[in-house]
Amino acid sequence: MLASPNSPFERVTELSMARNVHERRTERQLLLILLPSLALLLAFVIYPALYSVYLSFTNEALTGAAALRPRFVGIRNYARLLNDAKFWNALLVTFLFVVGSAVIGQFVLGLISAVALRRRIHFRRLFSSIILLPNAAPEVVAGFMWISMLAGGEQATLSRIVSFFGVTPADWLQVFPLSMIIIVNTWRGIATAMILLTAGLSTIPNEIYEAARMDGATPSQMFRRITLPLMMPTILLYMLISAVSTIAVFGLVYALTRGGPGGATELVSIYIYNQSFTAFQLGYGAAVAVVALLISLVLGIGYVRAMKVEV
Amino acid sequence: MKKTVIGGLCAILLSAVSTLAHAETIRIANHGQSGIDAMKSTVEKIEKKYGVTVEVVEYPAPDKDYLTKLLTELGAGNAPDLFSIPTTAAVADMVEAGYLAPVTKEIKAWDGYAKFYDVAKQLAVSPDGETYVMPFMLGIQEIYYRKDVLDKAGISTEQPKSWKELLDRAAEIKKKTGAYGLLFPAGVSWGSGAFDEGFQHLIVGSKTPQLVDADGKLDLNGEGVKDAFDVYKQLIDNDLMPTQPLLGPEPWVVPKYQMFPAGKLAATTCGSWCYIFDWGRESKNPIPDVTKVVGTWTVPGQSGGQYVLANLAAPWAINAKSANVELAKKALMEIGSVETQVSYAARIGNIPSSKDAAQNADFQKLTELVPIHAAAENGTFLKQASGFGTVAEGVARATEALLRKETDAAGAQKILVDYVKETLGDEAVK
Amino acid sequence: MAVISPSENANKTRSDLLAYATLSLISIFCAVPFFWVLIASLDGNAQLFLRWPEQWTFANYLRVFTKEDGAKWLFNSLFVVGGATVLVMVLAGLGGYALSRTRAWWKLPFLYAILLIRVLPPTALVVPLYKFLLTLNNAEGAILRPIFGEYTRPIMRWTGFIDGYLGLILVLATMQLPLALWIMKTFFDGLPRDYEEAALMDGATLVQRIRRVLIPLALPGLAAAGLFAFMSAWGDFLLPLIFLSSPELQTLPLGLFRAFLRINEIDYGLLAALAFIYLLPAVVAFGFARRFLVQTFAGGVKG
Repeated sequence: MLASPNSPFERVTELSMARNVHERRTERQLLLILLPSLALLLAFVIYPALYSVYLSFTNEALTGAAALRPRFVGIRNYARLLNDAKFWNALLVTFLFVVGSAVIGQFVLGLISAVALRRRIHFRRLFSSIILLPNAAPEVVAGFMWISMLAGGEQATLSRIVSFFGVTPADWLQVFPLSMIIIVNTWRGIATAMILLTAGLSTIPNEIYEAARMDGATPSQMFRRITLPLMMPTILLYMLISAVSTIAVFGLVYALTRGGPGGATELVSIYIYNQSFTAFQLGYGAAVAVVALLISLVLGIGYVRAMKVEV
Repeated sequence: MKKTVIGGLCAILLSAVSTLAHAETIRIANHGQSGIDAMKSTVEKIEKKYGVTVEVVEYPAPDKDYLTKLLTELGAGNAPDLFSIPTTAAVADMVEAGYLAPVTKEIKAWDGYAKFYDVAKQLAVSPDGETYVMPFMLGIQEIYYRKDVLDKAGISTEQPKSWKELLDRAAEIKKKTGAYGLLFPAGVSWGSGAFDEGFQHLIVGSKTPQLVDADGKLDLNGEGVKDAFDVYKQLIDNDLMPTQPLLGPEPWVVPKYQMFPAGKLAATTCGSWCYIFDWGRESKNPIPDVTKVVGTWTVPGQSGGQYVLANLAAPWAINAKSANVELAKKALMEIGSVETQVSYAARIGNIPSSKDAAQNADFQKLTELVPIHAAAENGTFLKQASGFGTVAEGVARATEALLRKETDAAGAQKILVDYVKETLGDEAVK
Repeated sequence: MAVISPSENANKTRSDLLAYATLSLISIFCAVPFFWVLIASLDGNAQLFLRWPEQWTFANYLRVFTKEDGAKWLFNSLFVVGGATVLVMVLAGLGGYALSRTRAWWKLPFLYAILLIRVLPPTALVVPLYKFLLTLNNAEGAILRPIFGEYTRPIMRWTGFIDGYLGLILVLATMQLPLALWIMKTFFDGLPRDYEEAALMDGATLVQRIRRVLIPLALPGLAAAGLFAFMSAWGDFLLPLIFLSSPELQTLPLGLFRAFLRINEIDYGLLAALAFIYLLPAVVAFGFARRFLVQTFAGGVKG
């Protein structure tokens, strides 16, 4: 190191230079511990994603003549999908699905659960365990459970419940397909919302509520003026995560409706599956996935900008 | 460090020694628990006869997922040496992709070959003239009907001789008993069933009985196609078949496992396995005295004739990139043995391709299958070509539109043609 | 604490009742579909639709462990998913910290990229992933075979990329990394740097800082990230299906498919019993992680 400095100026310079060197060393160390994650992500996530982008410009397939001799077809896949009314329908359905189940359904029920569970009541552990169950069920099983609930007309469990109350049952998945899958996905994700929102709620000190109560604030006022604003960062994090996860939902909805009736529940993920995997066409499927990704990207950036969240 | 060196040397020594006694390994992929069980004794036989180790890799997954996995591995060059293919339709595409090893010579030289039914031999030949699969089991479908329901209502149980007669019979059943007259699988939810268990049986007896022309192109614009869709339309529009369950998930549960045993559905297409597994002695809800109560009709032709359509059931093939192709071929012939066929028949209910099976004592115990086996002598088949999987999906969609009463027969045909053109390109369709 | 007036007491009770009511309703909504699973698993002749069993029996459960390889599947699933979860927690813990403290220019784009890539359906990623892992696998085989000969196959069961524990654990872990990194980074963002500064002043190195100060503080975040990773990986069946072949390595979700016997025939009793067994570890994991969860984002989202 440098020889002992004499003047204050030299002292400050020395300190700042030391900090720079130190910082650079820290940055390097930080990068070092990030390296394993980076390597794994690059190899197993980013590379396949980029490869898929490449595939989207070919007619690669898992079987058939194209499997043996795939050709570069330029933007033909993209032209085909942009011309396909079913693709745009899939976008609309997915949008409604995300808004209905993630933005509204899971959030509202998760928030209510989180708020209710903060009170000192009995059976808290039981309640939260039950609310978690839907998330713990694997997709295949959840699919069958809801088939048992909703399909089969009169035999469906829901039909039996409803007729107990004197309402005529309907063929739920045929008459209200989109609503049904929104309900099912809400059911599945309440726990995620509840967990995140509980954590967010716990950051608000009780004193604020006490003070507000002494000022005579009503519960709803407290909720609107205190809880919501202070929870914003958590809420936004939740929205981002759940929207992304919901867009990727496939198995559960496919098991229930296969995307029908008539495309009413054909999410983008199901559209990809129906269009490409039924014929094992990887190229086309990749093109749709890329477009879906781009749209999500645009929406995501717009969303973040609008909320001006600091990341 | 020293320990590692010594350990390594020991390992090398061991491996050198054991290589002398090392047996070759072939990997066999199978799927569906019953298929795995059926192959157990054959696997043992192969191991003993050729002194190899057989590694059975089980892909316990539904057809679609099994196929996805298999194709992924074939594409990467890492597939097992021998595998069963879930549907005939997939074979042509796999041949075109170069995944399968040709076995034409070996199979013709094999002594079991001569005893195969003609239809099995013909189905095994791919468009390019080579044989790539061992066609050891046939899937044969017929119309199963409730004799007792028809007898009670005084309806004739004679074999219908044409499409019109069939439809009239179904209408009669509806009028006199209130039960649904005839079920043909349809719709997207049933997967490939709309084609496999319904449409193709109509097509073979229609005015344009084949879907592939001499060039290997898909000929979907024929009149027979339209007429076949029209049969569906009439069944649906006249409320002769249940439609609600077909629009939902697991569409076969209500009609086949509930309505038919209860007599609310009088006739349905089904495979030979239905006598044993769906409604018979292995079923969870058997129909008592099933062979007396349930009779079979073959699907009549459009204007006459009887057509027993045969498909390859679980054909076996060899990975072209296998390291042990010759050995795999020998194992393949073993799979074609009568014993294996009977084992499969007992567990899955399909029909053995070998005429010799009729003399096998175990097979004779499967009394329900014996007559169907004999009928295979006159079996017909649909020529296979690349892209049949897409055709099956197109038919599913076309029948879905019919189920929803959104279109008519011509419109359904258009849906089929458009879908196939969209997916495979305009050049694939004539 | 101020004196609570009687009317406030009444308010409190009313609010409590409201809480009970809403929680009960939500719980019922969550629990109803599970009745079928529970009842069908005890039904000797289970159907797809809910029905009162004619014969109550444990036969289905027994079959899972005796006739089928339930114990092996359970072990494999626990081993693979557990391993992946631990790996995720370690990597995300370290990585999240790094991402929080670093000032690299590519930090933000990277974070968004890995999160949004989750939008791509896994089916689109499987094929290139498989080819890549196969290459790695063959390379590994080429190195190991000359040394271990006969025993390469058994060894590769553990260390192989295709059809090996290692490969599956790595892939499963990587799929959960994006979310976990986000959670940990957000968490560390909210942790006051005073503790670190103090440690820094004491002359601690990065490693020492991590071990002594950060890990204890990070536990809540790790619990959340770990729990989400576990539950997500636990339910995954596509990746095990594609990357595993040997019967010894089969995991529980693949075992579920054993209930698919023939083309249209499903043994619902077996399916339900397996499903029930499948649920338990996830519930246990949640119960275990619950304690830590509440504090998790407390630090993370403050300001």
